[in-house]
Amino acid sequence: MVKKQLIYNLLFVAMLLFGSSLIAQTITGVVSDASGAMPGVNVLVKGTNIGTFTDFDGKYTITSLTTNPVLVFSYIGYITKEIPVNGMSLIDVVLLEDSQSLDEVVLVGYSSRKKSTLTGAVSVVEMSDMGKTRIPNVSQALQGQVAGVQVTSSTGAPGDPIQIRIRGEGTIGNNNPLYVVDGIPSRDITFLNQNDIKSMTVLKDAAAAAIYGSRASNGVVLITTKGGTIGKTSFDVNYYTGIQSVSNLPHMLNADQYMNTLEKAWNNSNTSGSNPYTTDKGRADFSNTNWLNELFELGKSQNLQLTATGGSDKVQFLMSLGFYNQDGIVVYNNDKYKRLNYRTNLNVDLTDRLKIGTNLQLSYSTQDKIASKGESLIRFALLRAPVLSVFKDVNDPTYSAADPFTDMPFYTTTGYDQDLQRKMYEMVGNPIAAAYFSNDVRKIYKTFGNVYGEYAFLKDKELKFRTNLGIDLSFFHNKAFNPNYGDDDGGGNGVDQGLGRQNRPNSLNEERGEAYTITFNNTLNYTKTFNEKHDLNMMVGSEYIKNYESSIGASRSRFPYTTSEFRYLDYGGSTSNLWNSGSASEWALFSFFSSASYVFDSKYMVTANMRADASSRFSKNNQWGYFPSISAGWKISDEEFLKDVDWLSNLKLRASWGKLGNQEIPNYAYLTLVSQVDGIVKNNRFGNADLKWESSTQSNIGVDFGLLNNKLSMSAEYFVKNTTDILLPIGLPSVVGDVAPTIVNAGEVSNKGFEFSLNYKNSSKEFHYAINANLAILKNNVEKLHPNVPNIQGDVTRTEVGHPLNAYYGYRMIGIYQNQAEIDSYLTGSNAKPGDIKFKDVNNDGVINSSDRMFLGSPIPKLTYGLSLSGDYKGFDVSMLLQGVNGVDRYNQGKQIVNYDTRPFNYTTDILGAWNGEGTSNTIPRVAFEDNGSSKISSIFVEDASYFRLKNVEIGYTFKSLKGIQNVRFYVSSQNLFTVTKYSGLDPESTDLMDKGTYPLSTSVLFGVNVKF
Amino acid sequence: MKYIYKSIIIIFFFTAIASCTKELDNNPIGLLTANQVDSSPTITTLESSVSSAYLPLKSTLNGIIPGWQWGLGTVFRNDIVLQDIASNDMKKKWSADGDQVWMDQLGDFSFTSENAAFNGIWVYDYEGISRANLAISFLTNSEIVQKTGMDEARKNQLLGEAYFLRAYYYFDLTNNFGDVPLVLSSPATFQEAFALAVRVSADEIKAQVNSDLTAAKEILPNVKYSNPSEPWRVSKGTVIALQAKVALYSSDWTTVLSTISELDALGFYSLNTNYFDSFDANKEFTDNEVIFAYNHTTGNTPQNGNGLAAVAGWGFFKPTDDFISAFEPNDPRLLYTFDVPNDQASKILGSTIDYKGNDDSPGNKIYIRYADVLLWKAEALNETGDYSGAVTIINQIRSRARNTPTADGSISPVGILLDRASSTNPTEIKDWLMSERRVELGFESQRFNDLKRWGTAKSVLTSLGRDFQDKNYLFPIPQRDIDKSGGTITQNAGY
Repeated sequence: MVKKQLIYNLLFVAMLLFGSSLIAQTITGVVSDASGAMPGVNVLVKGTNIGTFTDFDGKYTITSLTTNPVLVFSYIGYITKEIPVNGMSLIDVVLLEDSQSLDEVVLVGYSSRKKSTLTGAVSVVEMSDMGKTRIPNVSQALQGQVAGVQVTSSTGAPGDPIQIRIRGEGTIGNNNPLYVVDGIPSRDITFLNQNDIKSMTVLKDAAAAAIYGSRASNGVVLITTKGGTIGKTSFDVNYYTGIQSVSNLPHMLNADQYMNTLEKAWNNSNTSGSNPYTTDKGRADFSNTNWLNELFELGKSQNLQLTATGGSDKVQFLMSLGFYNQDGIVVYNNDKYKRLNYRTNLNVDLTDRLKIGTNLQLSYSTQDKIASKGESLIRFALLRAPVLSVFKDVNDPTYSAADPFTDMPFYTTTGYDQDLQRKMYEMVGNPIAAAYFSNDVRKIYKTFGNVYGEYAFLKDKELKFRTNLGIDLSFFHNKAFNPNYGDDDGGGNGVDQGLGRQNRPNSLNEERGEAYTITFNNTLNYTKTFNEKHDLNMMVGSEYIKNYESSIGASRSRFPYTTSEFRYLDYGGSTSNLWNSGSASEWALFSFFSSASYVFDSKYMVTANMRADASSRFSKNNQWGYFPSISAGWKISDEEFLKDVDWLSNLKLRASWGKLGNQEIPNYAYLTLVSQVDGIVKNNRFGNADLKWESSTQSNIGVDFGLLNNKLSMSAEYFVKNTTDILLPIGLPSVVGDVAPTIVNAGEVSNKGFEFSLNYKNSSKEFHYAINANLAILKNNVEKLHPNVPNIQGDVTRTEVGHPLNAYYGYRMIGIYQNQAEIDSYLTGSNAKPGDIKFKDVNNDGVINSSDRMFLGSPIPKLTYGLSLSGDYKGFDVSMLLQGVNGVDRYNQGKQIVNYDTRPFNYTTDILGAWNGEGTSNTIPRVAFEDNGSSKISSIFVEDASYFRLKNVEIGYTFKSLKGIQNVRFYVSSQNLFTVTKYSGLDPESTDLMDKGTYPLSTSVLFGVNVKF
Repeated sequence: MKYIYKSIIIIFFFTAIASCTKELDNNPIGLLTANQVDSSPTITTLESSVSSAYLPLKSTLNGIIPGWQWGLGTVFRNDIVLQDIASNDMKKKWSADGDQVWMDQLGDFSFTSENAAFNGIWVYDYEGISRANLAISFLTNSEIVQKTGMDEARKNQLLGEAYFLRAYYYFDLTNNFGDVPLVLSSPATFQEAFALAVRVSADEIKAQVNSDLTAAKEILPNVKYSNPSEPWRVSKGTVIALQAKVALYSSDWTTVLSTISELDALGFYSLNTNYFDSFDANKEFTDNEVIFAYNHTTGNTPQNGNGLAAVAGWGFFKPTDDFISAFEPNDPRLLYTFDVPNDQASKILGSTIDYKGNDDSPGNKIYIRYADVLLWKAEALNETGDYSGAVTIINQIRSRARNTPTADGSISPVGILLDRASSTNPTEIKDWLMSERRVELGFESQRFNDLKRWGTAKSVLTSLGRDFQDKNYLFPIPQRDIDKSGGTITQNAGY
């Protein structure tokens, strides 16, 4: 209701504005280009703030009060035209495409450059091109768009984080890129509103990113928010709503198949007595529940964005309001995400030389979180026996209206432990009950923005001083109430006896905290062109960043009243299980930097950067790190010998070299520390006084082509990125106690790769279309490790020289033992049985032990690619994005526990093909309640997680020139429409090294409308 | 006008530089540097450093390593798996299932070096040693002690406790693994941690255990409870008892006898009248028999309760048929050890009726009690030829058991647990002693060590159909630490 009201109000305001036009000289006309009428061209009366845009037929009407007015027609990628009116009332204009349209200005750090003179690997994603993708999180805007940038959703749950990797993984520690929003660095951008963003620039190589020195080794993403525009205020309303549904669910056994499988497992195991499953088959109280179907429902989402922009030549503004709401696909709506953003961007030219401005965003987000990965609800739904029903029978004496869910298998009120029947079915909790009782709300209030001032010195304003103060201030509040539910398993503390086993006793956990980062940077920038041939740009600056975070938390249990009115700490039990906590952390970074570039005759260009950073995370001796870079470019197409080649509009060679740093390690890691938390005194970490910056040296060679007047443009890059002195947390042998790993500069990782991208844009008559394709090939390799640590062992991975980071490591399955003779001839003294997994005996000693482990796969994709297509014809437009990764593996722990566990969990239908006597299967071992080899980390669980996905499709139709409205576009859009993959888990797109059952990405269909006036 | 702008800019630049650089060297928040401990130690840090070193003895779930790390074997202290399950007195659950397969593998000797049980006990013991080392380093630094104002008596008491705890953990390690790395102080650098990751001979470890115990004995006060308000603390009697046990495990019979005489001379300990009083959560530190126990308490944050009660509630820790049949007819100790009809492992739970399933229950974990000491003495007497002395002690234990009221309140029939006849056959007496120890100390995590030191592990377990190999007299070193050390920690033979 509120939203509708808002739209009406805005429409009303718009009417007033249009209605109040003054009567004076009125000019009309049509703007067109070589291929026809041009909608959306900006028409402005020079020297005023009177302006308009052409409509869908290229028509415009403008009224001027000035004498001898001059009209200015401008459109991105076209040469701006100024036409004196001279008393004419009809002016038709033909705009010419700017052959220099490559020459957009690109932000490359603390200053900007013309695109044609760039010498580093920089990719720009204009959000205007991205306007037809519907994404809840702005990081997703880069998915499939830029060669060498891999974007992955950690889970499909509303509000869960997105992971970005630029040119692979360089370190064992933090691999996230640095985001810089309007000049303010940030480690997170989920709070931004898609519609507020003008462009995202990815600085991939060292030459481009070195100006960010110590924090840039994983690449930098510069984000520029939209500014105001000179001209009449325009409004943009965009609303969409849609539904999400889960896809690609695995097929689980039904009740009959499940009972047959358990019966077989019992017979296959070393158990005595009669088979209880045979007796139990066909029990009257059995259900046939498909837990996955019960768990998922349709999700809903809606998004409203209102933007107003405008301004005079002195003051320009943008104001926007965004509201996004997503209700996930798990039942009972306890998986939700809501975000409200408000933004003001203001730019004021106080004098001819002095400019001030601000970009400020307030946002509020709230996430209702359910367990979405790891020990997730999804995992419970995979494991729970299908013979159990979701709800108890109302006549069941253990039924209660407040907790109608089944919990322990066939629970009755009389005695639990004595009854073997109940132990026959695994006691994993009821996922539907867990979804129902889940109550974990995480709120973030955030202020993010900057104020800046810029003053131009010297006659031609060649020297500019800019000061920029940014603040990133957030408060968070997490509140989780864990209500007691489930059946009484006889356990519990004295006073809690008789309560259900889940969340016993009930409890409330609250945590509140603050985090602020202040960024203060000052730059002096000198730009001058001498003799029209020598372009010089020099910049020096300093930056200071300080971060402080603190939080307090508390919990209580045994709330006598559990309704929401009493979910506050005061109303919990006051005698025991009281908990409170508080802690803080801080760090600071202080830097100087400089940059110089020189371009001769627009043909030869060279840029050098230098940054010096001092970080509180290192000891005094190693506090400063120095990060230089140099790059050069040669625009061959401008040379005399290529001037006459018509079809070649651009050919440029680029090369760069530079050094970048990484300081993303825990605070105080260089110190040896003793902790005294909760009265326990113990060694916390053994320090490393020699700890210093991790640095990565990158070399990049690139070539840019432009053909047929830049209709077709291509880029290719080859890079070598060597990360040395990797900040490696080394787990010390436990003989010195259980201490946090020491951070050591140990090891070297290389990433080498090729990146290609291709753009083709063309129009024939009224049909316009564009293709953008990109592809990156990456090879990740560990070159060196610390002498004390020949390898780093993870749960299912090992990092070792000559292999990729975190490569999967374990036993290689080579088949299934078909009979005892096969075992006896292969192993000595083994208690393996026919039907067990046969592992490769690497050293041929007749024993399968730790020395038979080997590398099984890599979690880092070798190939990432994206393809986007768009076209429009008359009012219709269509766009789609296809995206995929290849050459990547994932450890499907869900499969291990679903199909190969020794407990009576449910299975997927794959298990129906399990080994069942000689010759029956050589891939799936026998089902059993004893280890059939599946408890070992082995290749059977390392699966190819390559995928190819239709990420986005959108079809729209625009109605032209409705009265008083510039245009109205209706669209329908769909995400994740189909996925091609061999991966048997729920979703191949996951960031966990070990997939335990992840909330899957959903397929969504959205309907929307966009009104501009 | 221009000059104003220029000066503002210059001011901006310089204030930024001046105010910022000093922020780079702030002290860490919430963590103590070595400097802070040296320059301004507090009495709380010293006191807590010692009490913290006790914690790896507790049975609280996730009490030392958080986060339900079943795969690392660190959810609770694994003595019960390594001793009672390995000796086949105990099985994981009544009926076979696939839950926590690593426990089954201890029982049937199919384990590898990756089994969680080994990593678990290794991590617990070395964490205890690390904490004891830290406490010892504080308490032996006279400057630190002086600055805190702690008096000499309290310092000696605490230091004695720390020495004992270090000895206890090393004794446990060497019994399980043989040669193990010897760490006696916190490493100064992380490189030193790797240098320390080398196994030294079991003899060297035992020498260290003995020297720590000697040092502890010298400085602990000559009273039953070093501090009556904290009866759970290690006392002089505790130290002497462990000295006797160390001697016993080296078959140094004369030392066993002389040390136990020393303990008896203190006059602190005797058998309780009632067998179960040592375990009854309601009688903790009021009984006569318990010499060393970890004091579980309920309702604390962080938790300090007995979590094995919860694990028992999930159906774990059941007696094997062979163990049940080891009890003579109507031996009241059976029901106290495991009450089959009520499915209650009373000695573990600290109650014959309560606590099962309670993850925060009060029942203590008993490490040394006087009945155990008496049986060591009997064993030493038998080995040194005092046969009647040995039989007398065995009968003393049997008499107490016989006269203990049964767990279900019924009167024990006459004629149970008759006294052993006098004998001069050391083999016969040793057989009596071995069966007496099994039933008297059942489920107290003593059995597998006993089988190993008697050299009977192979015959006993083979007769139960278990695949016990000679290599199994030592457990494998946990693969995780071998991997972490980069191979400087070597594996025991045969694994």
